[in-house]
Amino acid sequence: MEYAKENSIIEMMQTEFPEAHFTVKKERRIEVKMPSGRLYDFAVRMQKKWNFLHLSAISCVDWIDDGEFELVYHFWNYDEKVLVMAKIRIPREEEGDSHFETISNLWQPAKFFERDIHEMFGVYFDGSEDMERFILTDWTGPPPMRKDFITREFALNFYHYREYEPQWLKDMMAAGEGNE
Amino acid sequence: MDEKLTQRSVWEKIAAKLSKRSLWMLHYCTGCGAIELPPTMTARFDMERFGINPMVTPRQADILLITGYLSVKTLKRVVLTYEQMQAPKYVVGFGSCTINGGMYWNSYATMKSLDRYIPVETYIAGCMPRPEAIIHSFNELIAKIDRGEANSWKDYYKNYDFYRKNQEHTFEGPIETYNDIKADAALFRI
Ligand code: SF4
Repeated sequence: MEYAKENSIIEMMQTEFPEAHFTVKKERRIEVKMPSGRLYDFAVRMQKKWNFLHLSAISCVDWIDDGEFELVYHFWNYDEKVLVMAKIRIPREEEGDSHFETISNLWQPAKFFERDIHEMFGVYFDGSEDMERFILTDWTGPPPMRKDFITREFALNFYHYREYEPQWLKDMMAAGEGNE
Repeated sequence: MDEKLTQRSVWEKIAAKLSKRSLWMLHYCTGCGAIELPPTMTARFDMERFGINPMVTPRQADILLITGYLSVKTLKRVVLTYEQMQAPKYVVGFGSCTINGGMYWNSYATMKSLDRYIPVETYIAGCMPRPEAIIHSFNELIAKIDRGEANSWKDYYKNYDFYRKNQEHTFEGPIETYNDIKADAALFRI
């Protein structure tokens, strides 16, 4: 049977998480969408019971039209060599931070992922012991990875650009080459 | 130019003759262009034949080579590094990113023109410049030192307010420096 291994894993998980929606994306890649409240339980089961020992990454997607952030947790199982992507959605706050619970007490590396998401998207992870700034230590603007932050606009207003209009460039543009 | 030459004392000319063949380079490898430095330093292009060698500390270095884009955070470190270097010091901006932002021109995180923050002696255009271009610019620099024209470092002491203003604008606040530039300027009689 195609995807026998993946389907048996899904079956095992589905019994405990009937409300979650599982799909096999391709070989060894399983996607699961669930209500945000169940994520922590899911993470605990993943680590303690189903032997998904490695949290590869947490990523965030800004679905600005839906008014939601999507958090994607990537869990990896060394024995089965299967990656499970758990996706949840949380409401996107226009002003200030969105909030979600941390899983850094389960996986230490989650601290870094969560700090990164906090400064890049403005999602605060409650219960984490350290939510200091990670890479953008001096940044005072809005979280730059949010879709409504227009980086080009910001850069053009904030930085100084050298004037550079050589004759060859003018000639080229007069001839209709180059964009803009 | 002749007039300038006659203004230099004979000691300055001798010093320039000697120091132009003994330059130590601190390479601040932040950008992708740094990958062109190993061939420049080692047997293939061998910049040591021009008397240029890598140096590991800012205080003993003459050349500060900035290889490519600098994020605002690294720029702060570069400014501090630059201030620690002993004069005369020469900054070489390497790659389009230091000239006008390069392909990161619309990034919120990288600075656009390096000479707004520290005075730059020569730029090397290209993304990324080949070792030949680096060697060429070093030769230009050597010729400039010989002619007594490589004086952009004095500009930092002369126009410190300008640089400081740009730094504070980009860093959104004053930075903590360990050098008293104004006092140093008096020391250099600038
Ligand atoms: S100029 Fe090009 S090669 Fe150099 S740092 Fe910028 S993008 Fe990289």
